[in-house]
Amino acid sequence: MKRRSIIAGVAGASAAVAAGLYRFTDIFVKHYPPTPYDDLLVQLVDRQQAAALGAKVARPDAPSLAAELRRDLKPDSLGATTEADVAAGRLMEVDGWLLPRTIALLSALASKV
Amino acid sequence: MTALIDARTLADRTTLDTDLVIIGGGPAGISLALSLAGSKLKVLLLESGGVNFDPAIQKMYSGAEAGVRYAPLDAGRLRQLGGGTNHWGGYCRPMDAIDFETRDWVPHSGWPISKRALEPYFPRAQALVEAGPWIYDQKGDAENAGAGSVLPLNGGGLYTSWFQFSKMRGDVLPTQFGNRYQEDLKRAPNITPLLHANVTAIRLGTNGKQVERLDVATLTGKHFTVTPRFVVLACGGVENVRLLLASNDVMKNGIGNQNDLVGRFFADNPIPRDVATLVSFAGPLAPFYGANQKLPDGAIMRATFATTAKFCRTAKVAGSLSTIEQPVDLDETGKAAVITTAIALGVDASNARTYSLGCGMELMPDPDRRLTLAGQKDALGLPRLKLEMRIADEDFARFRRTLVELGRQLLASKAGMLRINCHKREDWLKNMDWGHHHLGTTRMSADPKQGVVDGDGLVHGMGNLYIAGSSVFPSYSASNPTLNLVALTLRLGDHLKKVMA
Repeated sequence: MKRRSIIAGVAGASAAVAAGLYRFTDIFVKHYPPTPYDDLLVQLVDRQQAAALGAKVARPDAPSLAAELRRDLKPDSLGATTEADVAAGRLMEVDGWLLPRTIALLSALASKV
Repeated sequence: MTALIDARTLADRTTLDTDLVIIGGGPAGISLALSLAGSKLKVLLLESGGVNFDPAIQKMYSGAEAGVRYAPLDAGRLRQLGGGTNHWGGYCRPMDAIDFETRDWVPHSGWPISKRALEPYFPRAQALVEAGPWIYDQKGDAENAGAGSVLPLNGGGLYTSWFQFSKMRGDVLPTQFGNRYQEDLKRAPNITPLLHANVTAIRLGTNGKQVERLDVATLTGKHFTVTPRFVVLACGGVENVRLLLASNDVMKNGIGNQNDLVGRFFADNPIPRDVATLVSFAGPLAPFYGANQKLPDGAIMRATFATTAKFCRTAKVAGSLSTIEQPVDLDETGKAAVITTAIALGVDASNARTYSLGCGMELMPDPDRRLTLAGQKDALGLPRLKLEMRIADEDFARFRRTLVELGRQLLASKAGMLRINCHKREDWLKNMDWGHHHLGTTRMSADPKQGVVDGDGLVHGMGNLYIAGSSVFPSYSASNPTLNLVALTLRLGDHLKKVMA
């Protein structure tokens, strides 16, 4: 077997293992069970921390939160939406913390799934 | 050169004639005397206490209280030469122009003079409180000293403002007017400082428009009389009230009290502690936020978050000065809030630092927060006072709006975030401290129905009785009063030189 083929094989196997680890374990990225709100929750980098925060939000059920968020939060726009919330003074108080409204609602949603 | 005379050594029943008598040897009384040093006026400065603290004399200040918990009336002030400067913290900051304005969202606000009227006197006042060069909101001076950068706040309703501090002498508290200026008082040939001299009554002529004499007594049983051309009452926002109300043999409601205003509108600057938790995403704040910073030119400064006039108008808030207190730890919810928010804002908060925030607030003027005479009498037969202390929920609500704006600005500038720690009235009152600034009880107004003194400090309806000190402040500002009351008193000094010439 040529040396080049061996290297290519090892590289391919490594890539496959890495992809598997990435997809099926939490080593590289945290995985969550699928929810009806993944289109929204995918914008949270650390859903666990958000959920811990969102548990303090006194808001109703997940569907109503999701409906509100889908109205205002476009895909891949959490940063921009957050900044717009702040500029417009749309803040919510969560356990005393003054949070951009979208962060608060998204965190609340994360805590309910 | 005169000396500090002990009134206990005077012959009983002596009568002292003078051009001007100043009642009270605190910062206002001493500043006024010094401003008249070397003039042709013969000035008698009466101080109830001595050079040093004496518990028996201090006890003359005790009184009764009701309402919101407040410092005992004999605790927040000192009856000795130098008055309250013997225990002050040295904080100085000029009041803002808006503090003098009639603010339609602040009932009873509005001075009869503008800040411009005080500005010529600030340099001399700054020198008297020994706060070094006039810097205040020229933040560059603190930053140029290599002390760090101010927190970016993105041009909103709050900005980093500055306190300056009266000079420290090693571990000794800032300028104590009695110790610092007693030699100056002795050197002035036209000033006679008289210690242990307690004014027990201000006696009016039968027309009720002119002070004819003062009854003065010592705790050792001596009595004497002062017959002045002019009188300045400078005993502070509590004791001024007692003397005016208790001197009621001619004016039955007390002197200057024809409209039932003397003693009303009492105020102080509440200092609720740990009102908020401030997170700085980028790491530790510059040291001047949490502690005094000495600059090479001698000025001692500390940063505070002040409200802009524009924000006060639009948000209808009162003045406030929010100050970093100390580093604190975050709980799990706090950590989650910081991580989630910082990631969303695209900010690295891995080095974030967290601090508690305290505040000096301006209260809304309240006519029912007042001092009245009580039944008990002191050792010299003067009725003691009773304070009805109040603080409105609206006072807290207004300051809360200011904290919300600070939180918004921190997020907008991606510099940090804020947690409000006080939600219910009990939360605000739980860690409540007070500035011991006794304000407003002989308020200034051009209208005798709205104030006890006019814009020059002359008691309405009187020809020769003036009041100096922070008791004349009709609204209060969040700035510490000493520098401002000294400036106002120096202005009175100039006025007296003219009217008494």
